Amino acid sequence: MGLATRGKSKVNSYILIVSLFVLAYYLIITIGPLIYNVIMSMSKTDLMSEWKFVGFKNYELNFKNEIFLKALTHNFIYILILVPVGISTSLVIAFLIYNTSGIAKKIYLFMFFAPVVTSLIAVAVIWKLLYYPNVGLFAKIIQGFFHVDSPLFLQDPKIALLCIIIMDIWKDTGLRVVVLHAGMEEIPQSIFDSARIDGASNIKTFFKIIIPSLRHQIIFLAAIYSINALRVFGQVYMMTGNPAGGPVHSTQVLVVRMYQEAFLYTKFGRGAAISMVVFAMLIGLVLIEIKSFDKSYED
Amino acid sequence: MKRLKLNKHKTLKYTKRSILHLVLIIGGLFMILPFLWMILASFKPNIDIISVEFRLFSSNWTFDNYAKVFREMPIGRAYFNSLIIASVATFFTVLSSSAAGYMFSKLKFRGRDLLFFIVLGSIMIPPQIVVIPLFLMISKVGLVNSYPALIAPWLINAFGVFLMRQFIFGIPNSNIEAARLDGASDWRIYVRIIIPLVKPTIAVVSILTFIWTYDAFLWPLVVVSDTDMMTLPLILGRYAMTEGGVIAGASMATTSMVLVPVLIVYIFFQRFFIKGLSMTGVKG
Repeated sequence: MGLATRGKSKVNSYILIVSLFVLAYYLIITIGPLIYNVIMSMSKTDLMSEWKFVGFKNYELNFKNEIFLKALTHNFIYILILVPVGISTSLVIAFLIYNTSGIAKKIYLFMFFAPVVTSLIAVAVIWKLLYYPNVGLFAKIIQGFFHVDSPLFLQDPKIALLCIIIMDIWKDTGLRVVVLHAGMEEIPQSIFDSARIDGASNIKTFFKIIIPSLRHQIIFLAAIYSINALRVFGQVYMMTGNPAGGPVHSTQVLVVRMYQEAFLYTKFGRGAAISMVVFAMLIGLVLIEIKSFDKSYED
Repeated sequence: MKRLKLNKHKTLKYTKRSILHLVLIIGGLFMILPFLWMILASFKPNIDIISVEFRLFSSNWTFDNYAKVFREMPIGRAYFNSLIIASVATFFTVLSSSAAGYMFSKLKFRGRDLLFFIVLGSIMIPPQIVVIPLFLMISKVGLVNSYPALIAPWLINAFGVFLMRQFIFGIPNSNIEAARLDGASDWRIYVRIIIPLVKPTIAVVSILTFIWTYDAFLWPLVVVSDTDMMTLPLILGRYAMTEGGVIAGASMATTSMVLVPVLIVYIFFQRFFIKGLSMTGVKG
């Protein structure tokens, strides 16, 4: 009885049942499928014949495929824009809100947080219309304020991906703001007071006190949002038409590519190989994050 | 002289304050404007939503968009499906994460740390990674297009387990020891002592799980082909397939029906929402 507790003669049924349930669930829903996925990614899979072991052939085919390489690049671009821009804008907004008080502070937090609770898929549908070329709301705002031709947004291959990233930054700004704002409130007031006596300006306080004190939160958010940027699917699927990833593959990302390979072209092996690439990148990011987290504790 | 200087200082302070509030008001409006625009657009004819002339308020108020959605989309059924799936998933997640949270924080047994490591490690294997094998497994057991298949990935949530464990650590051992001396089993302690004390965390885990499952997209997209089993995001997914203006009104009516209930709940329980979701950041 491996699960008996503290040498008691009686088996603790609570521990037995709960731990077996947890173990069985993760074996069936997560670990089992992951192993299955590894095997699949190394097999030639088609619906007609038996699967055949082909080694790294699927990976090779993917890395020789131009669309896959584009998708890979786009995920990196996604991370490189979403993480720094998302975190720095949220830091500024959180600092501004930190400087308000009372009911005003509550209202601002309420407004910034509203998009966070809503559905990403629904928001993508709304933004697709807001981005409508020439006659959409954003196009009208640009024409009205700057008197220039507005860009074509999602229909322009050069900026389509950027448009999706901007929507993504908008949607979760409130979450980052709340996390960072909570962190600011934990900074002892005495630190601010002594800074004020030294004559430090607000901007100096922001860079010299706020950012260093929030490094745990910042690293944590960077990790969460780089993982999110790797997992992007719904945004691209909803905003870039049929088939997803257009125009001319300018918004193609890895999970969308995986979905298309597996469920549109029934190439399960190729799809499984893509998801292993995503998994490897995810592990890499998490390891980097753990490293920098440890480092920031050493300071 | 001194007074003048003070006034000047005050004016500067007021200007700064005003700029601060102005920036935040503009930013805040930018956050809620898309939702206001969505609700207004859902009552406009297509031609007024996508038109050269800009009108925030249309002169032709209409319910046609809503009528069209009810006529052409299984929206009632999708509502039912989404609510059932999100509620059942939330119930199981709360149950499993509180039960496991108690086990991982207060009970000792061989293999506990390994099991907890597996739970935490699962965060690194999100559903996107294993969607292909999961689908093949589900189709092998003939569960495609079923509620069990739609709910299966959301029965435990590693984050929920982690949150509960952190919270239950804080409960004094003396309470539990006293109950144990009275001969209470761990089941009884879980139901009688732990559950009542973790209510705030239950609220947080419930809200998070409900939002996540209500919004789930990739897994339902893969596992559902039957119109009767579609969830709300899948209904919205159909709009991704059609280009542009012809469905503008109908799509805004649908998104309004999906989002307005959530936004109303948010307005009344915003404290829980903000606290709950910020815990994901602070404690994670």
